[in-house]
Amino acid sequence: MSDVAIAVKNLSKSFKIAHQRDGLPGYRTLRDDLIGLPQRMLARWKRNGQLTSETFWALKDVSFEVKKGEVVGIIGRNGTGKSTLLKILSRITEPTSGGADIYGRIGALLEVGTGFHPELTGRENIFMNGAILGMKRVEIQRKFAEIVAFAGIDKFLDTPVKRYSTGMYVRLAFAVAAHLDPEILLVDEVLAVGDTEFQQKCLGKMHDVSAAGRTVIFISHSMEVVSRLCPRAIWLHEGQLISDGPSDAVIAKYSDAGDRSAIQT
Amino acid sequence: MKYTICRTAAQAFIFSVPGAWPASGNANCATIQSSKPLALRERYLKIAPLSTESSIVTTVAELSATPIRTQARQQKPTFRIRPTKGWAAINVRELWKYRDLLWILVERDTKLLYKQTALGVAWVVMQPLIAAIIFTVVFGRVARLPSDGAPYLLFVFCGLTVWTYFSQALQHAGNSLVRNAQLVSKVYFPKLLLPLAQTLRGVVDFTVTLVVLLVLMAIYRVPPTFRLAVLPVFLFFMTLTATGVALWFSALSVKYRDCTHALQYFIQVWMYASPVVYPISMIPERWRPLFALNPAVGFIEGFRWAVLGHSVLNPNLLCITIVMSLVALFSGAFFFRRAERGFADII
Repeated sequence: MSDVAIAVKNLSKSFKIAHQRDGLPGYRTLRDDLIGLPQRMLARWKRNGQLTSETFWALKDVSFEVKKGEVVGIIGRNGTGKSTLLKILSRITEPTSGGADIYGRIGALLEVGTGFHPELTGRENIFMNGAILGMKRVEIQRKFAEIVAFAGIDKFLDTPVKRYSTGMYVRLAFAVAAHLDPEILLVDEVLAVGDTEFQQKCLGKMHDVSAAGRTVIFISHSMEVVSRLCPRAIWLHEGQLISDGPSDAVIAKYSDAGDRSAIQT
Repeated sequence: MKYTICRTAAQAFIFSVPGAWPASGNANCATIQSSKPLALRERYLKIAPLSTESSIVTTVAELSATPIRTQARQQKPTFRIRPTKGWAAINVRELWKYRDLLWILVERDTKLLYKQTALGVAWVVMQPLIAAIIFTVVFGRVARLPSDGAPYLLFVFCGLTVWTYFSQALQHAGNSLVRNAQLVSKVYFPKLLLPLAQTLRGVVDFTVTLVVLLVLMAIYRVPPTFRLAVLPVFLFFMTLTATGVALWFSALSVKYRDCTHALQYFIQVWMYASPVVYPISMIPERWRPLFALNPAVGFIEGFRWAVLGHSVLNPNLLCITIVMSLVALFSGAFFFRRAERGFADII
């Protein structure tokens, strides 16, 4: 098919997990690296160039294609590479091998309220957050009224967001992100917050986005949301693609496997 | 606080400078297993035009009008995601695309710095002024350092105008990535903007300090001359230098948090290695070319030449300064680009 939005080919991503030597902190210091250098070189020489630290594959050989206008849900347990996949597709991190071709402007919403600063007012944060998500200043200005109305915070526009309630904060953050106009939208589990009414509003917005012909990739732990919003689902398990197809079938397989492993353990 | 004379200054050198090599070496390891051919440039250069209408409308329009072009567009990805390694080009085009974000970052940090402070912007004036008074007492009165015939306070304030910019820009820009760790690991944008926004923001404070300098000139009845017109040129190269050095520190501090601590010592050592409290005439003639390798020397001497009027500016010294500031900028930028791809994973 020619109208492909995302083509992922043999995508793999590994992390080196350095095994902590007796209670050292997780981050590295220059001193540790310098002291450990001869040791590491020796180890490397002994093992013929292989690294000593263990390699953890967050994603292993994942391939799939998403067509323009498709809405795809990604499901799977915690720590199976779902977020890593979105991070690679949104170019935040690089794959270790394999790759992906993206056709269109990407907007990624991996976390609600990225770049929000507590000291800044709601108004200032809308511009900040919008710019961080890749909007132009004029674009934000044009959509400003709409964003404020969606979040329902017009009274508190000039209050620092540190004085906002959690709900207001989340609403504002989602409102900005919802008014991004990308051709491809990547969304990580962000609907788990807010009250039911706002969640409905968000789902409605996501539905509008897909109805407008945009491609959406959507991570969720809520099978109900996935089956309602996404015709197609992809199930990742331990970094590997287990199943890809109509969401009802994939969800059925997934919950079946979940039940079985629950019985086994 | 940043001018207090501190413990082992030499530590700063040990910690800061050699860190460069292990960092770049390891950054490479993560991408060594790449099997596909690299498409390094393409990743950055092909950016889809910003469409304001819904994509469906545009596609339909293109299909009916120019089917061949649509075909071509569909075959060429907007960007390819592939593992990369080695050196990467500085993508000026992408930086330009994100210029709105740069200005918003500059604006944000200017606003943030003096929020909930009673004196607000007055701190911009106070910092160099208090330091100048302390230095005048300690180095001018007590130690009796020469000042090439100028009033010591004005003499030292010239140096401090330059130096305050450097130390503020370096401190803020050097820590900018670590402080914005959440942004670095959660959104895609050229990370170079974070330190760059800080060095540009410093220009605002610098301008305020410059006004104080003019007031001091009036108080000491030093007539302003046409030479003041070259100050923006000095400022431009100062910004380049500060950006370059800050890029090294910010990129290194992602991996080695030591850098955030080492930075303040580095700044102190650098200040005493620059003629802030003493005139360049105290340095023996034959050592001056070596001394000039420190770009701050050229800027401070340039400022004194422009403001005090009676020193002579050595053109060779200026050339070395300009070359060094470009070296700082480009080495910093290339190192940063090389380290950048690992930021989200290790920050």
